[in-house]
Amino acid sequence: MKWGMVIDLEKCTGCQACSVACGMENNRLPGEHWQDVLFYTEGEYPSAQLKWFPRPCMHCENPSCMHVCPTGATYKTEDGAVLINWDKCIGCKYCMIACPYGVRFYTDEKPLVEPNVKTVFKSDGEHSWSPPWRMPATREDWKRGVGVQPNDVVSKCTFCYHRISKAPKGVADLDPNDPNLRDYTPACVVTCAPGARYFGDLDNPESEVSKLIAKKRGVRLLDHLGNKPQVYYLAGEAGAVPSSRANNKS
Amino acid sequence: MSMPLPEQQAQMSIPLLLKTLLADGESPSMTRVLKISVGVLVISLAIVFFALLTQGHAAFNTNSYGITWGLPISTYVFLVLTSTGLTFIASLSMLFGFEEFYPVAKRCVWLAVVTLVAGFTVLALELGHPFRMLWAVPLGMQYVSPMFWMGVFYTLYLVLLLAKFWRINAGDWDSPLSRALGIASFVSVVIAHSTLGLLFGMMAMRPMWYDAMLPVYFLITAALSGAAFTVAFTYLSYDIDRKKMAPALREMAFGRALPNVFATLIGITILAAVSRTITGLWSNLDGLQVYAHLVRSPLFQAEFWLGLVLPFFLMLSPTLQRQRKMQVTAAVLVMVSLFIGRLEFLVVGQMLPVFKGSWIPGFIEYTPSFTEWMLVVVAVALTFLLYAAGDKLFRLDEYPGPKGEEMAPQGAGAR
Amino acid sequence: MNVLNTLITRRRFLQATGVAGATAAAGAGLDRLSGFPTLAEAKSALAAEEGKTVITKSVCHQCPARCGIDVYTTNGRVHAIYGSLDSPIANGKLCPKGHLGAYILYDPDRFKGPMKRTNPKKGRNEDPKFVPVSWDEALNTVAARLQSLRDKGESHRFAILFGRGWGASDAGLLGTFGKLYGSPNAEINHSSMCSDASKKAKSCLDGNYSYNAYDYANTNYVLNFGASFLEAFRPFNNNMQQWGLMRTKSPKTRVTVVDVHLNTTAAAADRALYVKPGTDGAMALAIAHVMLTEGLWDREFVGDFKDGVNQFKPGLPVDPASFKEKWTLGLIEWWNNEVKDRTPKWAAEITTIPEKEIIAVAREFGTTRPAIALFERGPTTHTNGVYNGMAIHALNALAGSMFAKGGLFYQMGVPYGPLPVKADDYVDDYAKSGDRKKPRIDRVKTEDWPMASNMLQEIARNHLAGKPYQLDTAMFYLTNPTFNSPDPKAWEEALKDIFVIDTSPFPGETAMLADLILPDHTYLERLQCAESYPFQGWPMTTLRVPAVKPLYDTKVFGDVLIEIGKRIKGPMGEYYKALKDTENVIRHLAKGFEKAPGDNGVTGFDTWKDKGVWYKKPYLWQQIRGEFYEWDGKSYNKPMKPEEVKAKLIKTESGKFELKSSYLEHYAAYINKKLGIPEERVGFPQWVAPQYTGGGDLHFVTPKTAMHAEGRSANLPHAIALQQPTVGGNKTVYLEIHPDTARKRGIRNGDKVRIKSPVGGIEAIARYYQGVRPDTVVLPQEHGHWAMGRWAKNRLPTGSTTEVTANVSEPISGLAAYYTGKVTVERA
Repeated sequence: MKWGMVIDLEKCTGCQACSVACGMENNRLPGEHWQDVLFYTEGEYPSAQLKWFPRPCMHCENPSCMHVCPTGATYKTEDGAVLINWDKCIGCKYCMIACPYGVRFYTDEKPLVEPNVKTVFKSDGEHSWSPPWRMPATREDWKRGVGVQPNDVVSKCTFCYHRISKAPKGVADLDPNDPNLRDYTPACVVTCAPGARYFGDLDNPESEVSKLIAKKRGVRLLDHLGNKPQVYYLAGEAGAVPSSRANNKS
Repeated sequence: MSMPLPEQQAQMSIPLLLKTLLADGESPSMTRVLKISVGVLVISLAIVFFALLTQGHAAFNTNSYGITWGLPISTYVFLVLTSTGLTFIASLSMLFGFEEFYPVAKRCVWLAVVTLVAGFTVLALELGHPFRMLWAVPLGMQYVSPMFWMGVFYTLYLVLLLAKFWRINAGDWDSPLSRALGIASFVSVVIAHSTLGLLFGMMAMRPMWYDAMLPVYFLITAALSGAAFTVAFTYLSYDIDRKKMAPALREMAFGRALPNVFATLIGITILAAVSRTITGLWSNLDGLQVYAHLVRSPLFQAEFWLGLVLPFFLMLSPTLQRQRKMQVTAAVLVMVSLFIGRLEFLVVGQMLPVFKGSWIPGFIEYTPSFTEWMLVVVAVALTFLLYAAGDKLFRLDEYPGPKGEEMAPQGAGAR
Repeated sequence: MNVLNTLITRRRFLQATGVAGATAAAGAGLDRLSGFPTLAEAKSALAAEEGKTVITKSVCHQCPARCGIDVYTTNGRVHAIYGSLDSPIANGKLCPKGHLGAYILYDPDRFKGPMKRTNPKKGRNEDPKFVPVSWDEALNTVAARLQSLRDKGESHRFAILFGRGWGASDAGLLGTFGKLYGSPNAEINHSSMCSDASKKAKSCLDGNYSYNAYDYANTNYVLNFGASFLEAFRPFNNNMQQWGLMRTKSPKTRVTVVDVHLNTTAAAADRALYVKPGTDGAMALAIAHVMLTEGLWDREFVGDFKDGVNQFKPGLPVDPASFKEKWTLGLIEWWNNEVKDRTPKWAAEITTIPEKEIIAVAREFGTTRPAIALFERGPTTHTNGVYNGMAIHALNALAGSMFAKGGLFYQMGVPYGPLPVKADDYVDDYAKSGDRKKPRIDRVKTEDWPMASNMLQEIARNHLAGKPYQLDTAMFYLTNPTFNSPDPKAWEEALKDIFVIDTSPFPGETAMLADLILPDHTYLERLQCAESYPFQGWPMTTLRVPAVKPLYDTKVFGDVLIEIGKRIKGPMGEYYKALKDTENVIRHLAKGFEKAPGDNGVTGFDTWKDKGVWYKKPYLWQQIRGEFYEWDGKSYNKPMKPEEVKAKLIKTESGKFELKSSYLEHYAAYINKKLGIPEERVGFPQWVAPQYTGGGDLHFVTPKTAMHAEGRSANLPHAIALQQPTVGGNKTVYLEIHPDTARKRGIRNGDKVRIKSPVGGIEAIARYYQGVRPDTVVLPQEHGHWAMGRWAKNRLPTGSTTEVTANVSEPISGLAAYYTGKVTVERA
């Protein structure tokens, strides 16, 4: 069992619904984009290019963030998700240094948008803030980095672990159009209007994700680093997998 | 002699300790340093604590866009590598037989303890959960993490260093135990500093840091840092007045060995810096664009030309190298240069955005916040405070005689 | 052990409760009134939160599309919103805005109940000093005012101005209200500040004053003029679903986008062409020219030369007798009077799009079937908007796409049940009296705006000029012209001496000038029905079921209206007493489903509530190879007579797609006066040069982005953080400016700049963008508030984009020409 995601860049419209759905489902701060869509421009008018690239956590098979963690707070689950145990995280932020994809957040920092939502929706003392739409307390799971985090820990995409971990055992794909599987599917996959996202078991050769990777020649981001992401991209004609992390190419 | 003997120290009461510390005794300047640094430490700590208690680490200007580690971490790196270097200098005489360096050995060991403690203090205030670290790291046993080993070896190093200091403070310079402690602390710090080097050097996703030889680079610059601290703090203890020094120390200060060692270390550092920089400028590898940005920065230019090249020539020049003012100037310039260098190494290594797209169209900007600067002030004040206290409580100018006998320095002045 | 942490936690605990709580309570003010539970309450709520999660069917309110949503509620707290699988528009999906509903519900800046103004002075810097009043007092105040106007015979001086209407239980009640009360101004829609020109362009040609339904799933070519298909064009969510399909089906749907800058819509397309603002019509005419000269028109729909030989030669007239038209009218006249000279070379000069590109697009569009030409505010918010739109819409006739599979058509109505009472039975003598025949305050249907349906943007200046009269009382529903009307400062003046009633739950600019606040529920608290906008043709209506009880003392707008009605003396009061409330209205409407059960099993109010939507497929008509057929229960088999086509589909006077519009010809003198077109030519889709206002040297275009949640995204931190990703706008929106354009003005990337016109000026941060025309600057609208909530205020830009926009409107539709202004930009 190894959960993985496939993102079809040819279908992706760059609308950011994934980012917002994630932010609301997982109670993220404005700007704490566990799931982000990155825009890149190149070239000159009238031949300028605008490309975009959705970026969740890659949930690497060989996660460098986990390897550098001095306490074991970052760990990999049996079903392939990379999670953070907030009770063990010491806030050293080494994982943020070691992640080649920039997917980790330390939110004890100056707010992106003022006034700070943390002061508007004040914490009850344990959480770093308390949005009125936060998930029910019963879903919160600090050992897996789910819910509103306490202060001074690192946070990251969990593949919506509170959803996928409740999926029926042995299911090949979590299809958001299936009413019986929808509530177990990651928020970004559920909401993706053009249907650019797929989620399923990479270990199962019969799964839709495995087939898509095979048929449409799925690629992984910065594969040369050897982290082996469990998120695959289908580039098609979109050609939007950034060859470079750099936006400013000059 | 107002100095309490080591045996007395154990029974020393707090009022006596305070009295000893505040008595002008033989070094009124150290008393002044002590008083000022206590004041500065109290104020800066109060500011830092207030900021951390009200804003938390949002009081820092570090951010999730990519400048994850900022000034406090570079200060930590600067201080612990300085500690490493000081141990090297101390080991020159204690382990490697360069006996002309004996007069500064004890001072170096104490200063190594001091800088290490100051470094740890800054790190603790930077960490999200410093107290959790105390149990989570040992219980976690994450032997794959360079940071885990850094913790292990720096802790070991601190313990050994304290033990070594305890031995030499008791006059035991050369017993098998003392020698063993010396060797062990040297080895542990070499490994500790290497793990720190690898903590950065193994990060393949950060091309500016990715370098298996980074521990060697750290070793060179650490030694230089240690040498600069040795020169600066030794002179500080004698009010930059060689006449107040013991003969052996004075001989060392007047001699060619010190400036030559200093110049050599600066020279190798220059070589390493140039080699790193031109490699970065020459290579097309994505992630090394930062070097072009770096060399355009006035700070880098100042750090290189004023902080390394100028001291190099000062220490090379037969006419200048032995002048005390030149030595102090060179030491201070090198200290500042290395401090800037550590910050640059850290920040420039992170300033290229990693998958931030249009949110960060250029490099990530970072200017340390007031609180972060206050943390530096805490570290500096703590270094001075502990050094001055050490200067007063222990005889940092002690060194062993030709046969391992302790020499009470026969200073021209009060000492 | 964890001393520091405990200290921090302890300190924050104190902050969170005592200290800050006290400040909030004492500081008071509108913004500060906290409705959130105290710490103790929050903790007990946490402990108690073992409750079951309930999913309520509702309808999104962040754009007009009407996506069905599943609202997840646990113990009375909304914590998630997803698209509903029951909704044919949403299909379980949402656009980025849709998830932010909980933010709107729990918005800390909401009004908590009815309030009245106690500071008689009005202005930006005047604190209204609102004090709470009871609903009874508030409603009685309004009723007394209305009654007294009626008693004085001045009921026309009461107006209701509204933005987004939410169906028959909501804005649908307004017409009746005006009729019973006796005011022509009770139903003034914002449509002239929205996109009336695109509806008007369509009605001129095919007689349907409506947006279109499009069969994207079956089309093979989309030619898109200035519609932000992947950002704002409704239904945005479904557009994206269709996009996923179009771009992966076989054959792949090819897309050409004509716009003024590189947005995601243009970037995702196969071809992006940057047109000079307001000249899209020239491009469309050139495409028509190529389609005709190269024989690429659809002969089955349009007709053909009698001898089958193409006689369309550039510049040469054609003998009308030689051509036999089928479903179009006036093709040859159109050619002879307009299209024959509209060569790609000519258009290239006007549009700045290279001739080669125009020809290539024309050939693609002309040779790919089915093909759709669609357009929205890009071409139409100009002084020549309707003619631009007509030129583009004419292409749909040439391609034979009207009512065809893979083409475009219109939306069917919903078979609602009748209301409990008939309004006509309750019109009293006063309301019937000839004295009540007053012109509307916005002067539509007068010699000023004979063809427009609304002119909301004219009201402020009409009132200030007393022409035709001054308003006494104005009620605003879901519209905030004080911020978004062209030249909004006129409204700040006008509202000073009008008794203003705002019904928004949010402290917008209009509310700051209001005398009375009658706050609506936010949408997750409402029971409300809403018929679908044009979607896929077949009828559909949606139901918004309250997910939570209202958090505050608010009242749904429909009920406010009914309650006011009840308080008016005479038959009007009786009518509203019989109507009872909006729920009763909706229950009666739902009775229609008993006879017309929905495809999803909805047969009445309760099943409607369960599903959140009623719909009945299919669309009943289709044009197949130039013949029209009606659905016979199994397929499109029943041939339609021309009269049936005229009655149901092509509703022009001729029953044909009129390339010489009879509707426009009725207003030939007016059009001649306003646009200078010779009277005999007014009926043709044609090139009319736009009249740029402002006198600056840069076109100023102010589009929506994907994060534009109806009037609210400026106060939603999550929306702000994602507002304009194409150029990195995540705490402010940036002015997109071409680097050469900027450098010539000494503007560096990231400089603050001043955007000026004779109307006004605002400041924003400029960002270099190679994706924008060098003669154009682009700044997304909806930001730059001086009210509207704590996040909306005091953020750049320094004012609404409309503060730079002259109040000039397209004369036929009345659409405000938002994009026709030219500005100067300089370093601030």
